Amino acid sequence: MSDVDQPAPFYDDDSDDDLPILGADLPPKRSHYDDEEEEEEEDDEEDEEEEEETHGRARKKAKRRHKRTPLNPYLDTEALVSDDEGDEDEDEEEINDGFIEHANDDFGDSGGGRHMASLNRKLDEDMDEQDLERIAEDIRNRNRPTAARYTGDMNQIPQRLLMPSVHDANLWQVRVKVGKERDIVFSLMRKSIDVEFSAKPLSILSAFQRDSLPGIIYVEARSSQHVLAATNGLIGVFVSRGATLVPIEEMASLLQIKKIEQTVTPGNWVRIRRGKHQNDLAQVVDVTDNGEDVGLKFIPRIDMTPRDESAVDGKKRKKGAVGAAAVRPTQRFFNYEEVVKVYGRKAVAKRNQVYVFQNDTYRDGFIEKDFKISALILDDVNPTLDEITQFTRGQDGMGEDANTVDLSVIAESSRKAAIAVLQPGDHVEVFEGEQSGMHGVVQEVSQDIVTISAIGIDIEGQKMDLPARSVRKRFKPGDHVKVMTGQNADETGLVVAVSENIVTFLSDMSMQEVSVFSKDLREAAEVGAGTNIVGSYELHDLVQLDQQTVGVIFKTERDSFRVMDQNGQTRLVKPQQISMRRDSNRAIAVDSEGHEIRIHDNMKEVDGENRTGRVLHIHQSYFAFLHNREIVANGGVFITRTRSLVSVAPKSNANKLAGVDTTKQNPNLVTPTGGMVGSGAMGRGPRDRLIGVIVSVVKGGNKGLVGTIKDMNGQMARVELNANNKIITIDRTNLKRRLQDGRLVKLDDFIPNGRGPPGFPPTANPYAAAPGGGGSTPRQNIGRTPNPYALGDARTPGWNASSRTPNPYANNDGGRTPGNAWNPSSKTPNPYSSGASDPWSASSRTPNPYAGTGGGWGGTTPGRPSFGGATPGRAGANPGWGGATPGRSAAQANGGWGGSTPGRQPAWGNETPARTTTGGWGASAATNGWQSPAPWGAQSAPTPAAAPTPGFTSAATPADTPYYATPFASAQTPYDATAQTPAFMGNPSANDDNDNVEYDAPDDWLVQPALNHLTDGSHTAQLFINVVVTGTMITNYRDGALERKTGHVISVLNPSQHNISTVEATATVVFDDHTGDPGMTVPVKYLRPIVPMDGYTYSQAVAMDGRRKGSVLRIRDFNEKKCSVSTLQEVYDEVPTLILATLTSA
Amino acid sequence: MASALIPAQPKSKQLRACLLCSIVQTPSDFRRNGCPNCEEILQIRNSGERVTSCTTTSFEGIIAVVDPERSWVAKWQRTSKYVRGMYATRVIGRVPEEVEAELESRGIKYRTRDGMMQD
Repeated sequence: MSDVDQPAPFYDDDSDDDLPILGADLPPKRSHYDDEEEEEEEDDEEDEEEEEETHGRARKKAKRRHKRTPLNPYLDTEALVSDDEGDEDEDEEEINDGFIEHANDDFGDSGGGRHMASLNRKLDEDMDEQDLERIAEDIRNRNRPTAARYTGDMNQIPQRLLMPSVHDANLWQVRVKVGKERDIVFSLMRKSIDVEFSAKPLSILSAFQRDSLPGIIYVEARSSQHVLAATNGLIGVFVSRGATLVPIEEMASLLQIKKIEQTVTPGNWVRIRRGKHQNDLAQVVDVTDNGEDVGLKFIPRIDMTPRDESAVDGKKRKKGAVGAAAVRPTQRFFNYEEVVKVYGRKAVAKRNQVYVFQNDTYRDGFIEKDFKISALILDDVNPTLDEITQFTRGQDGMGEDANTVDLSVIAESSRKAAIAVLQPGDHVEVFEGEQSGMHGVVQEVSQDIVTISAIGIDIEGQKMDLPARSVRKRFKPGDHVKVMTGQNADETGLVVAVSENIVTFLSDMSMQEVSVFSKDLREAAEVGAGTNIVGSYELHDLVQLDQQTVGVIFKTERDSFRVMDQNGQTRLVKPQQISMRRDSNRAIAVDSEGHEIRIHDNMKEVDGENRTGRVLHIHQSYFAFLHNREIVANGGVFITRTRSLVSVAPKSNANKLAGVDTTKQNPNLVTPTGGMVGSGAMGRGPRDRLIGVIVSVVKGGNKGLVGTIKDMNGQMARVELNANNKIITIDRTNLKRRLQDGRLVKLDDFIPNGRGPPGFPPTANPYAAAPGGGGSTPRQNIGRTPNPYALGDARTPGWNASSRTPNPYANNDGGRTPGNAWNPSSKTPNPYSSGASDPWSASSRTPNPYAGTGGGWGGTTPGRPSFGGATPGRAGANPGWGGATPGRSAAQANGGWGGSTPGRQPAWGNETPARTTTGGWGASAATNGWQSPAPWGAQSAPTPAAAPTPGFTSAATPADTPYYATPFASAQTPYDATAQTPAFMGNPSANDDNDNVEYDAPDDWLVQPALNHLTDGSHTAQLFINVVVTGTMITNYRDGALERKTGHVISVLNPSQHNISTVEATATVVFDDHTGDPGMTVPVKYLRPIVPMDGYTYSQAVAMDGRRKGSVLRIRDFNEKKCSVSTLQEVYDEVPTLILATLTSA
Repeated sequence: MASALIPAQPKSKQLRACLLCSIVQTPSDFRRNGCPNCEEILQIRNSGERVTSCTTTSFEGIIAVVDPERSWVAKWQRTSKYVRGMYATRVIGRVPEEVEAELESRGIKYRTRDGMMQD
């Protein structure tokens, strides 16, 4: 008992720092503990020993249970003793028992505690020798989880020492759905308990939420990853917004936030938050003790026209109630007579001074009702004078001696508001109290006290504290002020008069005087410009109000506009009432003299008020909205008819012609001028040729989809996809033209059949008509560049000189598109001649023979026009193959078409060196007339490979479509531009209109040793060279029946290998159309390899030349010039496309 | 780790916070099991009256204390020696006078949990 006075902290503060002391003093501590408990208990026992029978029993029970628990192992023997029933006498001897009990102090005090003080004192002596520290540790460990005894943990540490340090975990702000904060905090708790022993326990330490921070929870964790892991999957957490670290200095304040207590006192004004009386003003009558319920008095809203009969009876049905709520009854004081008239006498009961009607109490006409404080609006009640007077009137009207409305409450509230807007730097004056009349500058605002630095002769600079309510903002005339709140917010102006707390200023915007309370004003240098924009509308905008009405904004207010409509009426509209902003920049009207009126013109009325103004907008060419700053009304905006206006500035004569130049309004009438007009007057260029073309997307997200080009805009095409009926905008380089057979070619490579022919008038080649001029016979002069279009003056022969329309083809390099035959105004409509690649035509003075001959493939190759060029007559005589031409027959032996025109020879001569550079066939070229005509080569592909593609394209159906020539024209052209290596065009196969083979393979290409492994008939490779038969028509081999047939070579018989030179080499060919199955022997010279084309990707081919000569390659990426290929050993390489011969695998 | 019962319905207006340790529980849990932290001094268990006098519904802010020992929030709220559970950030009200007297007699400074104490 004597120890009771010992100070508590030893055991109260169980922190680690105290450990040594704790350990050393442990036994005494225990005894303290006991003593205290004992003392408590003693009181208990003394006072209510008998009454607390049950309590005592419970404790006994606890003790018993306690004693059965496994006891401290290090005091084994003593534990056994404690098995005895808790007899107090026995406890006397059980010295250690008491100690053990403490060691397991789970159940608080024990019945025998009273005796332990003395026992423990004994124990103290015994324990001295023991390892107290160890025991202390032991006990502490076992005591920790219990927490049963309330010790006021950490109470002694001042809060400021608990401030977070860098060693503490961080707080992370997590955005959550508003209203879900609490749920989520609970969820986090449950989740962390649930997964505590799982593989992935949450690593968060805590999470909390504050009511004053909606939509936010804070999670305490070491890293944001922990936070995200914890919050992931919880409904309502915006995981995507991540977790924001709370700065360490702000952590404490998050937990310190406290809401400003909203105390409600009788007499206060409040508003009702919801229900039938939503937003009605009410006065507090009384407040319950707990502050949760508030008795209010307010003006009732009784439905005086109840539709439901049952409501009259007082038995409200739910339906009736709903119906009544639908139309809110007006506020009216309760009038007994009237209510009785409607609802019947029974409905209203009178008790003392009050009426009871429909369970509500009515006193003095007011309804008195209890509300939860949460159902009330306590802030910003701002009772209007109307409402207040209504309240008062009601009371007066009733003639009751009710407490009059305390206007001071209202005054108080407005004063509070005034305090709130005081800021350092404000000029204030004191209007009440001792210092009344003094003025100064606010230095500091602290709650209700403002510190001002006085201004005055004697007291200049003196600082003094004043109650904020006794100062008000001070303005003097001439100050430039800005309205901070209220209806005129953001208005600025110059103060013209000050009267008490009402300041009148001249608005900068409206030039009108505005009076506001000084509390709503601030001094501001800025001019209220920002207020001109509300939402997306601006002052003086022409806006569409409804179908028929437009108006001009002449004044912007805080969140609304004042608009003058075309009828001259002004109205207040909210931004959302405006359907759209109108643009009258293009509107045209005429004034009274017939002059054009444009926006921003200064005009004057000729009748009426003779107002002048600047034209803001013109509406329907009839109304003009004008603005004049000097006119006060409607912000200077007025409306008038355009016909009653006249220009202030004298108009120039140019405009004084007969009224408006109507041609300007009609773009169709605008004569095309030479240059880019740059205005809307210029019509659209001709319809783009690519519109309507079926294309495939070859790149990007829509790759593979097929669609139709709907529109072209420069580099971009709008493509309607077949798959999903969407129109996408896509770069034209990502598109390829899709031919009917599904093949893909470049967009520009191909002109659809339907387009070319009709546009070709059968006129003579202009170049023919003007020989010598503009390089019409170029090869005679300039062998290498025979293309007349390459010459500057001849580059764009087909163009309309006056037209600068954006024809995409015209935009191309002139050399590239000689074949602009589609251009209706082209002067070179002949596709063949315009396909400048054909110098032959250039020398031709005749119309295109092919037009007449119908000899199908006559047009198929650029080379062929040479026939035509030679003699038109021949075309008639022998469509296609004018063998009659002397020149050709002369050259026939070596394919010497070139012979037909002597002038050509020099050109060839020029070409020859170039050709030799291409390799192997140079030799043959010398004798091979086919190659010599290389003036085409001069147009010249960079590599021989370049040109064949068009050849292929056309080869498909040359006979049917003579106009395939056109594609050639354009197809070749790309190569022309960049071509370096001549000669390919001149290759015989082209002339032979075997367009499949553009490769200048020597006649004996198939018997080259390099290809032996594919042609020796062993079939080890299981691969066969694809070939096409060509040239048989010239020699009439088998009557040309095999011409153009394709197949693959089974084997080659090369007599030269066997020294038999008299027999020509032959190959056994299996034709694709099974002609002569199982295989025909065809002289090798009629066979040409089939070079790869687009679509052959991943097929195999053999190189006929170059460093990979003879090797079988797989085409990885097709390109017209160079294919990237891989060898069978997966070595990647690039080879010219033309040296490849495609293979068929067995 | 000792853990308080986590109320099942966080929305419930019925939740009550202990005036002494600020733990939040349902009234029935308080009644059935008492306050997990201060039962020894408050003696809430089995007494509806004690539940009413020692706990309150007027509290604000919920803290989920997952790891009381290591959490700074728990340290700041002085709940780090208490069980794991839901705590209120602010609890309005004071414990009954006899409890205050008891605390005083133990030399424990009573701190209200309404956030008004400053030191």
